[in-house]
Amino acid sequence: MRKQLIVAAVALSAMTLAGCTGGTGGGGGDSDPDSIRFLIGQPEDNADLDLTKADLAAFTEATGIEVKLDVVPSENMRTVLQTQLRSGEGPDVFGYDTGPGFAGALEEAGLLYDLTDAYADNDWPIYDFAQERVTFGGKIVGIPNDIESVGLFYNKDIFDSLGLAQPETLDDLTAAADVIRDSGVIPFAVSDKEGWQGGHLLSMVLSSEVGGDAMEGLIAGDTSWESPEVVDALDVLASYNSDGLFTPSPTAVTYDNANALFYSGKAAINPTGSWLAQDIERNVDFGVGYIPFPAQDGPGIFSGGLGSGLFISATTTKADAAIKFLDWNVTQEHGRWQVEEQQSIPAFPVDTEGIEATPLFTQIIADAAKIADGTGDFGYNVDVLMSDTFNEAMWDGIQAILTGQKDADQVAADLEKNF
Amino acid sequence: MTRRAQTRLGILLAAPVAIMTIVFFLFPLVNAVYYSLVDFNGINPNPAFIGLANFAEMIFDPEVWHALGNNLIWIIGGTAAPLIIGLLVSVLLWTTRRGATIYRIIFFLPYVLPGVAIGIVWGWIYDPVSGWLNQGLTAIGLGGLARGWLGDPNIALYAVLATAVWASTGFVIVILLSALRNVDVELVDAAKIDGANPPQRLWYVILPQIMPVFLMVLTLTLVGGFSVFDIIFIMTGGGPAGATNTIGTYAYSQAFELSRIGYGTTLALLITVLSVPFAVALNRLQRRLSLDGTGA
Repeated sequence: MRKQLIVAAVALSAMTLAGCTGGTGGGGGDSDPDSIRFLIGQPEDNADLDLTKADLAAFTEATGIEVKLDVVPSENMRTVLQTQLRSGEGPDVFGYDTGPGFAGALEEAGLLYDLTDAYADNDWPIYDFAQERVTFGGKIVGIPNDIESVGLFYNKDIFDSLGLAQPETLDDLTAAADVIRDSGVIPFAVSDKEGWQGGHLLSMVLSSEVGGDAMEGLIAGDTSWESPEVVDALDVLASYNSDGLFTPSPTAVTYDNANALFYSGKAAINPTGSWLAQDIERNVDFGVGYIPFPAQDGPGIFSGGLGSGLFISATTTKADAAIKFLDWNVTQEHGRWQVEEQQSIPAFPVDTEGIEATPLFTQIIADAAKIADGTGDFGYNVDVLMSDTFNEAMWDGIQAILTGQKDADQVAADLEKNF
Repeated sequence: MTRRAQTRLGILLAAPVAIMTIVFFLFPLVNAVYYSLVDFNGINPNPAFIGLANFAEMIFDPEVWHALGNNLIWIIGGTAAPLIIGLLVSVLLWTTRRGATIYRIIFFLPYVLPGVAIGIVWGWIYDPVSGWLNQGLTAIGLGGLARGWLGDPNIALYAVLATAVWASTGFVIVILLSALRNVDVELVDAAKIDGANPPQRLWYVILPQIMPVFLMVLTLTLVGGFSVFDIIFIMTGGGPAGATNTIGTYAYSQAFELSRIGYGTTLALLITVLSVPFAVALNRLQRRLSLDGTGA
């Protein structure tokens, strides 16, 4: 009996320890070299997921490498990914944000595969500025998926019906918004329940007001976040909100609901990013324009940034197949497919001649090209470049402004403190 | 059976529970204490030992005290409202003969719905632009009361709490209804003959008889108030600007949004430290009343 108990205890201990100990390689234990596991966050629109699946099928057909797709809710991506990577049972390839708080943190912990040699071997033509965003400590660890900008989508039909021209300055925008509000339409479909939208609002107002170089100074820490320009930008948000130009109680409105207000014509302007262009075109039957948030003295500039990127787990046992998958994603054919089908802008030069695109997306591509080749001034989408702590202070701070809990000076001080 | 064989059998029979306690309670608890003593960001395999720094930070963190205040509101409101409403409704249903089963199903239904679904649906109801609540208020001429229920820092917590009360009252009703079946009706009738009015009969005759069950429900709702997380996380995420944060949502935010697993774990331990004494005290009181022969 005693012997049996000891055997049972040893077996149980072994099982427990085995359960607590991570595996040794990525891919979830699958040893097939021609099969990789690919983890992404759930896209906002299921149609985009279908496009991704079709793309993976095309890759499998072309290379013989099977891609097993795992999709997790975007808000859980960080937790799920970190847990999987630490356990050694992570995906071979995954889509993740490119900022220092995301890919940078994984690189710091040694969880990302070094792609520096792969870049040289495959001559991947990623734009320099984009490559810098996935380079940490001298190592290139990912390929950026796309370039994004944040600005104002506006309903041309509402503007035309109210006799409003496209705003060229901040005063124009304010005057137009006053007219729209007085007509019974919500001027700005602002949502901030999730919090991150506040970062985009500040990015677009501030970038236009101070310009790209000054934004770099703020992001690098050369300029204080308590500077008058930051306070002024925060004040614009506060005054627009108190003047009834934003959605009522924006901190109670979700991103999806604000978009629905714009789609249904109940709101005239949607301050968001170029990633929504395809959804807008799927959902509206009116003309849509896309402009930067205007500055005091001019039309302003778009805030640019990278979307997510593709990364390889440091512990993958299938690096060759994973690199082939990344290589597939930076081919000219894939870039054209990305523009045509996903309406997203690749982070490498793509010959768009002959591509069928709507006027709205054609304009977005042209604007993004200026960001990519450095010929135009552009601002920055702050949250993808800053730490989690700063972002939290920014998101909470703008919610506090929109709910009257803090004024612009207090929030600017919080931003500087959390920089 | 020899004494030694009896001992072996006892060990064998107790082993599954002992092992489960070690694996699912002691091991996580020790693990949590370890993480509270290190600066762990969720990915660094060798986090630095920082002693009691997380505990010191917790004491001086104003957001902890704000979150604790919200927990206190939740504990009081989220315990008292379901218990009072549940007690009154269950007594009404107890005396109802026709349609009692249908009423029970109707009242219990919210409790069996997933918390996530409840949070999402009530989020739609509270939506400031297209939500039914604001539209309903406007339709009956009370448009002045319409507001962004989940976006107003002065109201959001109570709006979420109202949803939680709606969801949990059914549980209280069903449990108390079961207890009421064991109430001695002759005592109630005697009190009635003696001139006791309905509130007096409820307070002096019915409630003492169901007190152990009442205390059990009280314990569950009270401890739930300390650890409340899911419905707040779904409906407000702790916002706007942290206005609806409780210790649970604040711990989550620190651990998984700011990658401060060590500090988040310290906050989670605080929940345990605060809630266990209440649970133990109420449990002892419940056992004492049972041993005294009071109640169902």
